[in-house]
Amino acid sequence: MMLKGKQSWVFQNRPVIEASAVSGGPFEGNGRLAEDFDIIHEDLWMGKDSYEKAHTLLLEEAITTAIKKSGCETEEMEFMLAGDLINQITPSSFAARSLSIPYFGLFGACSTSMEGLALGSFIINYNGAKKIVTGASSHNAAVEKQFRYPTEYGGQKPPTAQWTVTGAGAAVLSNNKNKEGKLVTTSATIGKVVDLGLSDPFNMGGAMAPAAADTIIAHFKDMEIDPSYYDLIVTGDLGRIGQETTYELLRKYGVMLQRERFEDCGLLIYKEDQPVMSGGSGAGCSATVLYGHLLKQMHKGIYSKILVVATGALLSPLSFQQKETIPCIAHAVSIEMSD
Amino acid sequence: MQQVNPEPAQVEGNNKKDKKLALKVKRDIQSLPQIYDVAVVRGKKDTLVVYKVKHMHRMRMKQIEKDINKMLEKNYPKENFTVSSDFKIFIEAIELKDKMENQSYSEKEAEEKLQKVIELKKAMT
Amino acid sequence: MGRKTSPSPVEKGYQELQKKHELKRPVFKNCIRAFLVGGFICTIGQAITYFYIYYFDFTEQTAGNPTVATMIFLSMLLTGFGVYDHIGQFAGAGSAVPVTGFGNSVISAAIEHRTEGMVLGVGGNMFKLAGTVLLFGVFSAFIVALVRTLLTMWGVL
Repeated sequence: MMLKGKQSWVFQNRPVIEASAVSGGPFEGNGRLAEDFDIIHEDLWMGKDSYEKAHTLLLEEAITTAIKKSGCETEEMEFMLAGDLINQITPSSFAARSLSIPYFGLFGACSTSMEGLALGSFIINYNGAKKIVTGASSHNAAVEKQFRYPTEYGGQKPPTAQWTVTGAGAAVLSNNKNKEGKLVTTSATIGKVVDLGLSDPFNMGGAMAPAAADTIIAHFKDMEIDPSYYDLIVTGDLGRIGQETTYELLRKYGVMLQRERFEDCGLLIYKEDQPVMSGGSGAGCSATVLYGHLLKQMHKGIYSKILVVATGALLSPLSFQQKETIPCIAHAVSIEMSD
Repeated sequence: MQQVNPEPAQVEGNNKKDKKLALKVKRDIQSLPQIYDVAVVRGKKDTLVVYKVKHMHRMRMKQIEKDINKMLEKNYPKENFTVSSDFKIFIEAIELKDKMENQSYSEKEAEEKLQKVIELKKAMT
Repeated sequence: MGRKTSPSPVEKGYQELQKKHELKRPVFKNCIRAFLVGGFICTIGQAITYFYIYYFDFTEQTAGNPTVATMIFLSMLLTGFGVYDHIGQFAGAGSAVPVTGFGNSVISAAIEHRTEGMVLGVGGNMFKLAGTVLLFGVFSAFIVALVRTLLTMWGVL
């Protein structure tokens, strides 16, 4: 039985994360994790004539680099699972067009990275595929254009706002039997949509915190473990406000996380002095930090078990103009070092 | 307050009556407490009156202009005045006065220039 | 539109908890910055006005038009070189309220949508931010003029 508890999957066959790669833009190149990026572009245009094309390029590069690092060929990939934030997820679909890998387009806003990893692991675990590539991406200018104001518009962002990451992360999953010294996914918890009535699109962290807390609580309940099982619990892009709120919310429900083992990708990616207000966000945020920074740290042995909880705010520019509140979701995937 | 305080001038340089009138108009306007610098140029038919309003009274400039017009109308019913508080007109008036002090500047030229300044004042856009 | 029901106790409880961690806008600091930067922009505008008065045949009355045009041109350069959004983040209303902010909202939209082509992109989206200001500005001017005309006709004014 693979379903455990109410909403969690256990991957007995332990799908292997063979390799991963991340690409990023200039702002990320000046960030704290610049060294963990495989490709850094100096310019937001990336030599393309639109930001959307640059967005597509980011994902293509991340995927091809990840495949190359895994020692496979693009043709060996049986499925590709990817998504982003742009209308009708065109950047991901356009990348799938040029890569010509059978493709599932996913949308879970900024939680897409873990949605892809969970589904990919599920397919591998049940022998639906031998090799799968999954990824998520976002491009600051392309996303801002759709959700907020023009890039050069001089509106003042409040301190609760977050900065959309320009970057893509991709990972190659396989059913490799030899798991020694490799990273494997062991379980995943699929979150439900939670909406506690916040409607400020400039405070996504605050809106997403209950979704993150809900999924984390469900994960520990379903898996019958407690937070000390993990060396690190990392959320996707809650930012400063969302992270603090989630921490307190979890305590209220009796889940006592250790503060120093609870991180957020949106806070890890940029330096303190970068003008990102509350932290990074976007589908590329959790993807680049996990597939770049965190997996490297795991290979180095700094962590051996982590739980990644990517959060997403499922709003559209239309929905918030119609005064709808912001529904949010979070998916958790547990990654462990196999011994 | 920095003042230019120009002497009143008249296009017809030797016209005693004009000179007297210009001086009197200047004194009348200067007696108003909201005003600190006055230039008067007397032409053949028209008289140009330009003044500066003290900073704290600039909010009421329209009212002051109305008052001055009324006062001049009352005191000199036969004369034709052009009243302005515009800085550009003030500069032009000083320039005209300085030119007129030069002997080679003819009365005809002076009158033409005065009409030009009055036209400039009337332009709205 | 949206959800009409008032927040449930759970929602209320969470919103209070969230509020504790939410970073407040530094209103006082923003006001000071807006005052200084807004004042600085106006000082530049005043300098340009004097420039037109001294060196061209413009009066205080008429120097306004070329001054506004010049200010918008400067704001266009700053927007194009990617400086104005940084000023905006620092100054807030200080750089949004003067006419340069209006210029910025038009120009930034035009730049942003250049990739969708001249007609549908630039033409269709240029006034996406400034359009409401224009519409309601013209509309309220119309209403005020109408009221004034009627009052004058009836001899009230």
